[in-house]
Amino acid sequence: MVSPLLEVKHLKKYFNLKGSRADYLKAVDDISFTVNEGEVLGIVGESGCGKSTMGKTLIQLLTPTEGEILLNGENIANLSPKKVREKRRDMQIIFQDPFSSLNPRMKVYKIIEEPLVNFKIGTKEERKQRVYEVAKQVGLTQKQLDRFPHEFSGGQRQRIGIARALVSNPKLIIADEPVSALDVSIQSQVLNIMKDLKKEMNLTYIFISHDLSVVHHFCDRIGVMYLGKLVEVADKHELFSNPKHPYTKALLSALPKSHPSRKKERIVLRGDVPNPANPPSGCTFHTRCPNCMDICTVTPPTLKRMGEKHDVSCLLYE
Amino acid sequence: MAVNILEVKDLKIGFEQDKKDIAIVNGVSLQLEKGKTLGIVGESGCGKSMTSLSLMGLLPSGVDWQNGDIYIDQMQINKKSKKEWRNVRGKKIAMIFQEPMSSLNPVYKVGSQIVEMILSHEHISKKEALQRAVDMLQLVGIPRPERVVNEYPHQLSGGMRQRVMIAMALACGPEILIADEPTTALDVTIQAQILELMKDLQEKLQMSIIIITHDLGVVAEICERVVVMYAGEIVEEATVLDLFNHPLHPYTQGLLNSLPDIETEQEYLPSIEGVVPAPADMPAGCRFFDRCEYATGKCKNKPNLFTTNIGSTVRCWLYESGELIGGM
Repeated sequence: MVSPLLEVKHLKKYFNLKGSRADYLKAVDDISFTVNEGEVLGIVGESGCGKSTMGKTLIQLLTPTEGEILLNGENIANLSPKKVREKRRDMQIIFQDPFSSLNPRMKVYKIIEEPLVNFKIGTKEERKQRVYEVAKQVGLTQKQLDRFPHEFSGGQRQRIGIARALVSNPKLIIADEPVSALDVSIQSQVLNIMKDLKKEMNLTYIFISHDLSVVHHFCDRIGVMYLGKLVEVADKHELFSNPKHPYTKALLSALPKSHPSRKKERIVLRGDVPNPANPPSGCTFHTRCPNCMDICTVTPPTLKRMGEKHDVSCLLYE
Repeated sequence: MAVNILEVKDLKIGFEQDKKDIAIVNGVSLQLEKGKTLGIVGESGCGKSMTSLSLMGLLPSGVDWQNGDIYIDQMQINKKSKKEWRNVRGKKIAMIFQEPMSSLNPVYKVGSQIVEMILSHEHISKKEALQRAVDMLQLVGIPRPERVVNEYPHQLSGGMRQRVMIAMALACGPEILIADEPTTALDVTIQAQILELMKDLQEKLQMSIIIITHDLGVVAEICERVVVMYAGEIVEEATVLDLFNHPLHPYTQGLLNSLPDIETEQEYLPSIEGVVPAPADMPAGCRFFDRCEYATGKCKNKPNLFTTNIGSTVRCWLYESGELIGGM
């Protein structure tokens, strides 16, 4: 039995809302999952479902309200800021926007070297070797390291962001929409690099995205989020061939056709995602659910095991 | 007999840098059939948005119209004065943009923004205009339209704002709707709603649509003909079926291959190496030269748009004879 690299138990992140009707915005509400070593877990959901907040909470750029985050069996939630920094040597994050996540006044070499300086790794000469090595892995030349971020295109900047995340030899990478700001032809370049690096460095990824086809291509297991909760978790093939939750079904059917002559049965969801500060009672999806029953407006469902490695949170399957 | 409602001939748009003319749209010609949907596909910086802005007479300052003619219903519109342009915009041709929040004025109510647009084109009373605004909002599927007219844009969700934009664009019954990345800022479930709405409205109102997008999924969903642009030029034009069944230009093939598809399993995605050349140092010949795996010496000369035996046109020397090669 493989022991999980990361185990998340009942993670919650609430934001205080002063002066509004609700007291809290439950951005991440009681989420539990595990990630095994060498695995790629995809997290999908629409804007405002809390997927980015969850990513930031995992790496403790946001302090969790409640719950445990076990990295290699050790709980890292609510450690002192100094201890948390040490832990970040093992877990790093890649951000969505390659324009705002790189300091425009630092040369690329300094940007990539910074984590090493921060963690006090190696001598100056060793650090230099390491920076060159990582830069080569992501396809940047030594000459380019002497330039500033604004001299690079979006795809190249994302490579810089990846190099910075990898330079300290982390075990777990949280990739928050790493390719959604990129053009398709560049998107595939970056995905391929991330796949190569995974093999070379035995990485584990949590891959956050709104794009189901990218997640299908890149991930082993997929979790679907809706309004701060995980509604379904399953192996990629299982999720795409046998989706259980009505929201997952609707998401899959909303994907644009990949070929104009392909016929598609479409479940068009009514309305928009409700305001997360004022979520519906019972199952939070009941206001848009095509299979809504009376009980759904009252009783909130919990994540239940449905089959091998397939968890669903829906009262239809109780 | 198919009637072209819109024709663009040899459009060239550029700017001046260091006393050199730099073309960002270079010799683009388009035809839009009445009642049909034309897609313009390409990646950032390929000139697709500039092309659409020029159709609206809305080119930003510093960017010059260098050549080309635009005809709507056989009427040449590009020689018109600023004032005459205003009568064309909104009345004959209207546009919706990618980011519905920044294209709506945050300090005016939704209703008064639609009324303003109607009153600048038609001599009707304010009350009638407001009623039209409510009707339009109803038409685009906004619940409780009589209340939404009195709301501000920030009170609406992204999908609702895009519906308001569509209502505004259609308020004076334009014959042509230009949609510049209408669903890019929206979530998939909302994107599906908006695309359904556009198809619906096209049928009801007999509109012709130009849709500008980087998303080939949207193209497969809604377009009849497609133009692929690369670095300011049209590299391929085809019906949507031909484009997906027989993509001809190496760039089009690369684009289609690099899309992850949920029906197939691939370890690595094929990708197009390199990046789009900057407008200031375009290759003199084929602009895809540096990134093309089929490039030969001949490609240092500029290829024309060749018409092939299946009817698609393509800007690539591989198709000089008009024959398809290699069963693609």
